[in-house]
Amino acid sequence: MSNETENQTAASTEDQELVGLLAQFDDPDSLIAACNNAREAGYKKMDAYTPFPVHGIDPALGIKRSFLPFIVLSVALGAVVIGLGMQWYTNGGSIGGKSTDSFWPFPGYKFQISGKPYFSLPANIPVTFEVIVLSSAFATFFGMWIINRLPRLSNPLHRVSRFKRVTNDKFFLMLEKKDELFSETESRAQLDSWGAVAIEEVNQDLTDTKLPAWFTPLAFVGALLLMLPPVAIFGAYGANSRKPRLHVVPDMDWQHKFKTQVLSPNVGTKDNVDYLFIDDRAMRQPVEGSVAFGSMMDDSEMFYGIKKDAFEASMLAKDARFQLASTSSEDKDGDDAAAPAEDVSQWITGFPEGFEVNQAALDRGQQRFNIYCAVCHGYAGNGDGLVNRRALALAANGKAKWTAAKSLHDPVVKDAAKNPTGRIFDTITNGRNTMGPYGAQIPVEDRWAIVAYIKALQETGIEPVAAGESTDAEADTDAQAATKTEDAKKE
Amino acid sequence: MATTVDPKQLDNTLDDPAERSPLVTGGLDYEGVTDAAAGVWDADRPPLLWWGLLAVALSLLGLLGACVNHLLMSGTGVWGNNNPVYWGWPIVNFVFWVGIGHAGTLISAILFLFRQNWRTSINRAAEAMTIFAVVCAGLFPGVHIGRVWVFYWLFPIPTEHLAMWPNFRSPLLWDVFAVSTYATVSLLFWYMGMVPDIATFRDRTRSKIGKFIYGILSLGWTGSSRAWHHYEIAYTILAALATPLVLSVHTIVSFDFAVSQLPGWHTTIFPPYFVAGAIFSGFAMVVTLLVPARKICGVENLITIRHLENMNKIIMATGLMVGTAYGIEFFMAWYSGVEFEKFALSNRAFGNYWWAYWIMVSCNVLIPQLFWIKWCRTTPWFMVIVCIFVNIGMWFERFVITITSLSRDFLPSSWAYFHPTWVDLSMLVGSFGLFFTLFLLFCRFLPIIAMAEVKSIMPHGDGHH
Repeated sequence: MSNETENQTAASTEDQELVGLLAQFDDPDSLIAACNNAREAGYKKMDAYTPFPVHGIDPALGIKRSFLPFIVLSVALGAVVIGLGMQWYTNGGSIGGKSTDSFWPFPGYKFQISGKPYFSLPANIPVTFEVIVLSSAFATFFGMWIINRLPRLSNPLHRVSRFKRVTNDKFFLMLEKKDELFSETESRAQLDSWGAVAIEEVNQDLTDTKLPAWFTPLAFVGALLLMLPPVAIFGAYGANSRKPRLHVVPDMDWQHKFKTQVLSPNVGTKDNVDYLFIDDRAMRQPVEGSVAFGSMMDDSEMFYGIKKDAFEASMLAKDARFQLASTSSEDKDGDDAAAPAEDVSQWITGFPEGFEVNQAALDRGQQRFNIYCAVCHGYAGNGDGLVNRRALALAANGKAKWTAAKSLHDPVVKDAAKNPTGRIFDTITNGRNTMGPYGAQIPVEDRWAIVAYIKALQETGIEPVAAGESTDAEADTDAQAATKTEDAKKE
Repeated sequence: MATTVDPKQLDNTLDDPAERSPLVTGGLDYEGVTDAAAGVWDADRPPLLWWGLLAVALSLLGLLGACVNHLLMSGTGVWGNNNPVYWGWPIVNFVFWVGIGHAGTLISAILFLFRQNWRTSINRAAEAMTIFAVVCAGLFPGVHIGRVWVFYWLFPIPTEHLAMWPNFRSPLLWDVFAVSTYATVSLLFWYMGMVPDIATFRDRTRSKIGKFIYGILSLGWTGSSRAWHHYEIAYTILAALATPLVLSVHTIVSFDFAVSQLPGWHTTIFPPYFVAGAIFSGFAMVVTLLVPARKICGVENLITIRHLENMNKIIMATGLMVGTAYGIEFFMAWYSGVEFEKFALSNRAFGNYWWAYWIMVSCNVLIPQLFWIKWCRTTPWFMVIVCIFVNIGMWFERFVITITSLSRDFLPSSWAYFHPTWVDLSMLVGSFGLFFTLFLLFCRFLPIIAMAEVKSIMPHGDGHH
């Protein structure tokens, strides 16, 4: 406080400049009176300083109404657009049929929730409201300080020690030197006559307003140096490197567990390797005799199309797998009937117990047949599928090797004695000759449905024709007719 | 100065229709208000009691820190949250603290718009309490997200590696926006209101560090009339913005529950019911804090019995609203004819958690009825006891809503009883440590009374009664 008083006494020295005259009042009413007097006297560049907002001082000083509300209103209206736009963009809204989920570099993301639209107003109101309030509050807060030209690091008023009480209990009026009417002696006399308790000169100190010469270049260099770490970090983030990335937070990238297809831990030494498990693998095999969920295939008629007693007999023969799977390499000449080792009597001739042949099963079989089988065998089973026709055309030109797909109306294929339903099922499951296996693609129930549909097709009496003669329309009517003979096929 | 003492100076809870009761007692003038409000801050050393309370608060804060560390190292399994109660105490504590955080902005914004002059003495402390409560509230969902180091995934920030955005259809995301907006706007409102008072501290302080810090915080405020003009308009706008905001926050918190389809949660009464409960618990916390604070800080002439009485009246009014909502819930469960709703509500009152329900009802509905008696609402020590019961009751309200509905969902095979762990309990207690640490530091280092505002509502012209 002592240096301020020194400043006051040394007011006339060269490095100080008068800013204005500050008059103190002890209560708000006398301040308002003085403000009115000053305004009537013609002063324009003046301001009152008070510990709290004094009502009635705005007209006394001639302060115009703040335009802050309009700033806030425009920001709030902008926030409606920004708030809605943000949600529309990020949640994959679309414009003109084009969704933001294909926009570069930050595509929107479509959340599929109960078939709801990606953008709909009701769900987006709460966030829009919050965005409006937040933006308006920022506009109000920062707008107010900017209008008031604050924050201000230095103010000559704070050099007047008496002015400290402006935030406590005293009221001040300052006439600024910039005003046309201002004159040091005259203004002082006027303030005195308006009832000022004390009048002080407010001086600006010119000496300490200059920065040292080295400050600017040093600050510039310092700012540049401060930018290096973030630039280095972002550079490393975007760079290509053969080394693994630096994991600041490991998340769950490294876990104390063994993955499949790795060695079990070495419990020996480096030179004398001794793996924990006898088969060296970290991965364990299921306990013998255990069956994985959904893999219980105990009904041989259902899962293999083989009669139960025949299946048990073949199981006893130990190499059941080779016996059961009729492989595609079985016969070279393509004649099923000539297959030497095959026991046709092992196949079931009807349908397994768990599978019921009805309209729904046939419909399902037709649909599956049209997906999986018709490409080669044709919609009517004539062996005139598009793939078959194209492949035969290529083979005719010597461009491909192709064994023609069988017509399902071929007498051998049709013959229930040589080709019982169990064998057809097995053909679908494991393939035959050049036909590939479909067991992995088609579930068991669907395979039986296809078998049922094939039997229905065969009952239609379609004559086996050369490739390309049958049409799809023909096949459809045939299939409808086939369902009528459903009961007959149950055997 | 009269030789006879104005009876209203002694007891300003007397109502005289001809004249307003004084809100500042003890014959204080402008300077007296400043001296009184800055008393604790002026003192070279804070009172011994302050140190004692700070020590307790800091040790609880340490407990919270240790628990959060334990949680982050071990995962959310250290809590009692488990099938089917995946929302356990963390959400209960979150809603509890957010609710408390409603009184401050209500006092500063809504009572400001309604020109309730008595708000001026209590709004600063209440706003501070709001912000500290929101800090405590934000902590719980913050650590509940599991991998807190990717907390920024909550916000719509473009990230290369996540390649997705928040789901704006989710009430939990609305909550993120509502609570963070509320915290930000409350902070702006609090700080802006405080700038003129920080300038008072800047002009009063004798220490160099204090001059520097308060000098920066006061932004060069001089009390210029032009600045006051824009400031008052900005304050009114902020109040007008904060008023719908404060109502929206607990509404959206209630959407977390109401938008789901669980019996006992899926009701339209939740938004108003939650907002009333928030105001109820918030005012109870303000009274709990201010009764001791006015004594320790020596501001009994500024925060008078009349202020406390007014708050107690609001507590009683909102308590009745909350009680009505409890009743309406039962009516709606019965009237809806949905057997799940009926079961959920009867299970609340008479099921496994009957004890929690009846603690809630007695603390929130029955005990505040004592405030019908004038002695009860004007006796400081007694009202603190009532308000502590209200706070206990409001914690149990959130417990009852969250736990009873979740522990008895649609599938009886998944029914289970919720067991909190020691981490749950320690974090709740620890959050009070965080809250009180912040509040005690606030009492010592920042203006606890909005001095400029109090001065502006004092009798004009003759400030010297």
